[in-house]
Amino acid sequence: MAIETIKPAASFDPVTHEIIQGKLLSVVDEMAIVMTKTSMSPVIYEVLDFACGICNAHGELIAQTNGITLFTGTFGAQIRSVIDRFGTSIFPGDVIVTNDPFRGGTHACDFAIVRPVFAEDRLIAFAINVAHWLDVGGAIPGSLPPDATSIFQEGLRLPCVKIAERDELVESIVEIIRENVRLPDMAIGDLHAQLATVRIADLRLQEVVGRYGADTLLASFDQLLRDSENRASEIIRSLPDGEYIATDVIDGDGVNPLPIEVRVAVRIAGDSIEVDFTGCPPACAGPINCARGALHSAVKTVFKALVAPYEPSNEGWFRPLSILAPQGTLFTAERPSPTGWYYEGSVHASELVWKALAPILPERFSAGSYTSLCVTYIAGHDEAGELFVHIEPEHGGWGACHDGDGANALIALTDGDTYNYSIELIEAKFPLLVERYGLNVEGGVGAGRFRGGYGLVREYRVLAERAEVYCGFGRTITPPWPMDGGECGSVNYLEIVKADGNALKLGRSPARPVARGDRVKIVTGGGGGWGAPSDRAPAAVTADIESGLISREDAQRIYGRQQ
Amino acid sequence: MIRVATDVGGTFTDLIAYDDTSGAVVFSKSLTTVDDQSVGVLDAIAMAEQSGLGVDDIGFFVHGGTTVINAITERKGVKTALVTTAGFRDVLEIGRGNRPDLYNLRTRTPAPFVPRHLRFEVRERMSASGQVLHALDEEDVARCARQCREQHVVAVAIIFLHSYANPAHEQQCAELLRKELRGISVCASHEISRQWREYERSNTVALNAYVQPIIRNYFDNLDAALHRKRISCAYYAMQSNGGIASFEQAVTAPLTLVESGPSGGVAGAARIGSEIGETDVLYLDVGGTTAKCSLIKAGQPKVDAEYRLEKTRSSPGYTIQVPVVDIVEVGAGGGSLAWLDPSGRLRVGPQSAGSNPGPACYGRGGVDPTVTDAKLTLGILDPLTFADGRMPLDVDRARAAIARVSLPMKLSVEQAALAIVRVAEESMSNALKLITIQRGHDPRDLVLIVSGGAGPLLAASLGRELNVKRTVIPTHPGIFSAWGMLAARPRADIRRTVLKPVSEGEMNSISQLFAELEQEATEYFAGTDTARLKFHRRAEMRYRGQEHSVSVAISGGTTRELLSDFHTAHQKAFSFAIMTATVEITMLHLQTEVLSEVIGLPNIQSDERNTLENALKGRRLVFLARENGWVACSVYDRNRLPIGSLIPGPALVEEPTTTTFVPSDQAFTRDETGQLVIWGETSMTRSEGEAA
Repeated sequence: MAIETIKPAASFDPVTHEIIQGKLLSVVDEMAIVMTKTSMSPVIYEVLDFACGICNAHGELIAQTNGITLFTGTFGAQIRSVIDRFGTSIFPGDVIVTNDPFRGGTHACDFAIVRPVFAEDRLIAFAINVAHWLDVGGAIPGSLPPDATSIFQEGLRLPCVKIAERDELVESIVEIIRENVRLPDMAIGDLHAQLATVRIADLRLQEVVGRYGADTLLASFDQLLRDSENRASEIIRSLPDGEYIATDVIDGDGVNPLPIEVRVAVRIAGDSIEVDFTGCPPACAGPINCARGALHSAVKTVFKALVAPYEPSNEGWFRPLSILAPQGTLFTAERPSPTGWYYEGSVHASELVWKALAPILPERFSAGSYTSLCVTYIAGHDEAGELFVHIEPEHGGWGACHDGDGANALIALTDGDTYNYSIELIEAKFPLLVERYGLNVEGGVGAGRFRGGYGLVREYRVLAERAEVYCGFGRTITPPWPMDGGECGSVNYLEIVKADGNALKLGRSPARPVARGDRVKIVTGGGGGWGAPSDRAPAAVTADIESGLISREDAQRIYGRQQ
Repeated sequence: MIRVATDVGGTFTDLIAYDDTSGAVVFSKSLTTVDDQSVGVLDAIAMAEQSGLGVDDIGFFVHGGTTVINAITERKGVKTALVTTAGFRDVLEIGRGNRPDLYNLRTRTPAPFVPRHLRFEVRERMSASGQVLHALDEEDVARCARQCREQHVVAVAIIFLHSYANPAHEQQCAELLRKELRGISVCASHEISRQWREYERSNTVALNAYVQPIIRNYFDNLDAALHRKRISCAYYAMQSNGGIASFEQAVTAPLTLVESGPSGGVAGAARIGSEIGETDVLYLDVGGTTAKCSLIKAGQPKVDAEYRLEKTRSSPGYTIQVPVVDIVEVGAGGGSLAWLDPSGRLRVGPQSAGSNPGPACYGRGGVDPTVTDAKLTLGILDPLTFADGRMPLDVDRARAAIARVSLPMKLSVEQAALAIVRVAEESMSNALKLITIQRGHDPRDLVLIVSGGAGPLLAASLGRELNVKRTVIPTHPGIFSAWGMLAARPRADIRRTVLKPVSEGEMNSISQLFAELEQEATEYFAGTDTARLKFHRRAEMRYRGQEHSVSVAISGGTTRELLSDFHTAHQKAFSFAIMTATVEITMLHLQTEVLSEVIGLPNIQSDERNTLENALKGRRLVFLARENGWVACSVYDRNRLPIGSLIPGPALVEEPTTTTFVPSDQAFTRDETGQLVIWGETSMTRSEGEAA
């Protein structure tokens, strides 16, 4: 038998590349496992409001695990601000902390922990972990006043500060944190968890270098970025050139209830795509502004859905994308604008791009959803007199697709692998009783050839003597948008029903007092429909009637035919 | 006494019979009968009888199979209703509302097993501490019964909030429904799980009810058929927790059979480990489409409290609360397809050629390359002796298939084949690392046991990559799950959600609760001599404020011991411990095992005819990575190898169901119990050091 040998390319072979990429993904997976299993804060272990990643020495994303989409594009800007700040004065074993929205971050609650990774006497990568801390000080528990007017009400900011030097914790920084947050044990517990994740990443990267050498690892980084870039360009090239415009309305900013009109122009030319937010209003008074880092993340989320929804994320995918936005708008806010509820603003940047692209690529997009995370806080003191803060994002209805009904009760675009809160756990932990958790049949959904998915109703009865409720609900007036002749979805709201029957409907609201026996009713909307309702299959209408999702009369009225 | 195990797989039903006294083993393999699997089981018994199995001597019969998982995956369960606390009928449909498929803007939660029009609400309410807030409304229950009758449901599941803390309302409701609905399966959630989280418990009880009538019917048929065969011993079913249960116990909680087959292999690996004096074992089973791995510590597999049915990277699947041995599965097996992604990167799996058309070399129309094609191309598989010579393989087709990826990669066919094997091995070794290194266990302390038709081909390289103590290919690697079932004991895992700080004041109530669980276990095993019940107490603990807990074996009854066990476990798992934080217990877990005789390993008598020369079947050219070329390797017949000789690689060891490959830097022996033990350079040095 002949022995044939073809030498692989001199320095780098594709199989080694594939194996290194597999290892990098298992490194970020391992970071995420450590984070969820050890975190003390429900925002992290239930909501998965954190992300872990590895970037190259220039801050370009190489591998990432996300529990949610909010951190799709924030790592690069944060690491570049670390590089800008420290230049060459970072050393093995250093760890930098940053939570500054104006240095690539999101809001002050999101603490990024960055660890440079050195090998063969040079900086080869950064390991990064960002996680939402339940409280970072500021005006109110949870650090997110829905009516904040300045960043200074939103807690402690540490803009690129070393929290460890050569693997020694800098105790003075830990002390500053401890003294400036309301739940120091939780914060320090989460800090430990985060430090463990970047330490593990460093260790694992050292193993890869030990096996294959730093040059091979760096060549693999470059190859990965180039490959993703080429594939993204190819997809953009296949889309029709042109300018696609979308507009939307944000229902108030938390301080000012007036509608805020926003717009985007998406321009596709050859293999590049430009997303232009020129014409959006200046930063608002309230905290739904986002800074440029969060805007980029919001646009990248939808871009990712367009070019590579199922592939691991890295910076290469985003190279064909450029984002234009003048400084100082509500999507590019500057110090000292408040950004606590930034995701309520940035989600609209995502949805604008989504809405602009949906008509040209219906197989990738659904119609408009309930959009807003509808975050609800119920805080007070339990029987033992201890402070409790229950925080939960709400799930809601998603829009219909061109080939099927919308999904019921899913988490909004900004989150992702985010679980709803178990009722049995809530009741074991907090002085609250859940009286109903079910589909929002009363509110309904956007009708269409395919209808939107149903939102939810969750009703709490307050068992504590006294407590307070605050919330940030968007889409309380402007319902989810339909596609192709369908109808709009339904809106979100929170309603406090006092024991005496008086009721108060809220959207974005600062703390409202509640007392034992009061009910807090949380309602999320149904998604928009796709196609004309008159084209809906009769069998589908009948099935909805049998399931108790629509009354016979409403079906008759909306879908026209005798049911 | 003869012990018999039958394992129903997707294609074949395996039978293994072991005679305790003579050590004789009889196998048979019949085609799995899809409609009624008991027919295939009886066929296998009939075939074994022809090979000398005497049914009169059968004293132990254990059965594992895929009936439960098939009924679920094929959605062939019965029409099922769900009765819930008023206000919560949609919990089952809402699920957890998560979107693991982050960037898919068209994603959805998988459909519930009970549709909305069959989910009924009754007024009742318990508090989290188990106090009655609202008594059960019996008229509501009567209305539900009426609706169930009108809708002709075949099974009813009941889920009330906080029934894990106080099951009284569920019990009352179940009793009423059983009275009203004769002949209909009624399951209440607390009968299957006493853990909190209402969605997961809803799914558990709904799926249990969904398959129960089918499983009852199935076990009734099998029971009758076995009796007709005059097999009159006790019959057992293999459970997912690595233990066995009586048919009756299995019918009560059929969901506990969901991973019946794979858990047989885990039980077998634990058994082999303890026979060869190794209680810490890493077990890998490589089948046609997937590889499954498990870690066994101190002779016990890790048993999870939850099982994520149909969970994938993009779907949340359906979480159920049943004890299942911790198995990590990767989509890489013998039939896994190799392909180039749009960037030209070589990928292997998760798509598989399956059994039809199968790998290209089967000559049944497959054209894309698989791991098996790569192994054949490299000379590791013999085209003539595959499957005991019953299925000749086509080398030309295998090479042609490999060429589909080698040409674009500008590699030779052999190098592309090596690359395919390397990528497949890498995904398996990543999975093995996930359950070892990433959880704080050093593979150098572990023995790797590898089974499955495709496992022994790559066992040695994986062992080297992980740097394990040594690698063992057990006897009968091709039907190891069935063998393992003979090594399983009756076992129950009882869990109870509690929420208590670890403090002096709570220790009494904790030991009180454990005593209750032991009582429950004793009742479960009623009729068994209590002296034979072995209890293992475990607790799930966490730092106050954490959500996830670490499972800790309880070594002593004092607070100090409990705390120190927990801090150590946390440090080991996550690389830090917080000595000052408050520690909470979230769940008590009692493992109960009935100490019973299980299959042993025979002591193989040295046979003078078994010499290296006699075992040598010939030489075959194999394309080796290290040598980057074709090298002549010795090919041995496993069953004729002399006992105890250390034989250097490179070598191929053949047996009817598989081939073991030992590369040039490793060596192997056949030990006195028949296991094939592979040693790497480092492990050989180390063991010599230990000996000295």
